[in-house]
Amino acid sequence: MEELFTDLEKLARVEKRVAMATLVGTRGTTPKREGAKMWVGEEGRILGSVTIGGCVDARVITEAEKALASSQPRLLQVDLGDEDAWEMGLSCAGSLDVLIEPFDLADPKLVDTYRAVRAAVDDGKTVAIVTPLKDSASRILVMEDGATSGVLDDDVRRVALELIRKRKSATVSIGNESVFFEVHGPSPTLIVFGAGHLSMPLVSLARGLGLKTIVVDGRPRFATRERFPEADKLLVGIPSEIAQTLSYNSSTFVVLTAHDYKYDLPVLKVVLRAGAAYVGLLGSKRRGKSIKDFLKEDGMDQSLLDRLHVPTGLDIGAESAAEIALSILAEAVAIKAGRRGASLREKE
Amino acid sequence: MAVLYSEKLLDHFRRPRNYGSLTDPDVSHESFNPLCGDRIRLELKLENNAVTQAGFVGDGCAISIAAASLLTEMISQKDLTFLKTITDEQLIDALESDIKPARLQCALLALEALRAAGP
Repeated sequence: MEELFTDLEKLARVEKRVAMATLVGTRGTTPKREGAKMWVGEEGRILGSVTIGGCVDARVITEAEKALASSQPRLLQVDLGDEDAWEMGLSCAGSLDVLIEPFDLADPKLVDTYRAVRAAVDDGKTVAIVTPLKDSASRILVMEDGATSGVLDDDVRRVALELIRKRKSATVSIGNESVFFEVHGPSPTLIVFGAGHLSMPLVSLARGLGLKTIVVDGRPRFATRERFPEADKLLVGIPSEIAQTLSYNSSTFVVLTAHDYKYDLPVLKVVLRAGAAYVGLLGSKRRGKSIKDFLKEDGMDQSLLDRLHVPTGLDIGAESAAEIALSILAEAVAIKAGRRGASLREKE
Repeated sequence: MAVLYSEKLLDHFRRPRNYGSLTDPDVSHESFNPLCGDRIRLELKLENNAVTQAGFVGDGCAISIAAASLLTEMISQKDLTFLKTITDEQLIDALESDIKPARLQCALLALEALRAAGP
């Protein structure tokens, strides 16, 4: 998301016209999901990607140049046949629909739309840009409270709100029309309770993955800017009280690294009820069972306790703090994506 | 843990009395142990030089939470002059447990908050 805004603002400074290529449909196994973007400037600049590279991106660039030359949008369909897949070094054989639209950046419409999206996202809101594929010029912005930037059919609005709730971009057939819903929301956030040694590589790695990071601890000597130069927020106070002030959604990962019941118990009482995508607790299975037993005796439902990942992380043989951080984030990403985190070569 | 700590201490840890923030407290102070991370905020409502309501919030070990819970019971509805007479030993004795020297700071964290608040 952040990358999209940055790319567009960069291009707006140096290009007069750009083609915006948006991945609007995927079938089978594809390397990127709906909403991925590539920008091709009239002066030749290229930013972003709708695949992980290779000849599909090359074809998108060629089509983007044609769209700029003709000033007409086009919908590109690309089948990733086995042969093509091998050519690209991909083990996938899906197909992609890419909407390619030329824009004159002197017309502020596109940049203004994305600035409005960014303002909403910075305000913690999730929004959808609704684009009919046959008439991509008539984009309408739908906010999570249902407000729209233009007149919208009720069915389209309902689908937009559903996809906003799921935080998922998709093309949906409504009546005789295919409509693309480009959903943008706040960046995924990692909240770490405990500012110990392990949390440092955890935060660094999370930043590298594009997550916002918040570190919480009761000890000002631990939760310092020197130890966490990349953290978006360092919050010092009573951890469970701070936990109640934070917001949690399907893009929030929570990891408790204090390995101390005095933080773990009261913080878990808050975060397990809060709707985060992932809650992981550092500790052994034995410790995890004791913590869960304690919380159960305290009246917490089994369904909430089942959401707790303890020990946190995937079994990758992690030993160092950085390796443990990698295993935790790998599990969190897999859980959010509804995957098991197994080796890809084992996948059918 | 059951061997080291009294039933009373464990009960106050599991079911702390007067836990929660007060609305518009007249006095509030948060104390913390900089290394182990225990944090206790003690809050008081006062009227006519007496404590009409005492409450606390915090994340801490069993000793510090139980001690805070016991302290709020000790000072509720008491005159402010009484508060100044509470000694370390009284609070430690109230825990009815063998508190080792290394854990005295935990046991006295809430009392430290009370003294710093200075009602």
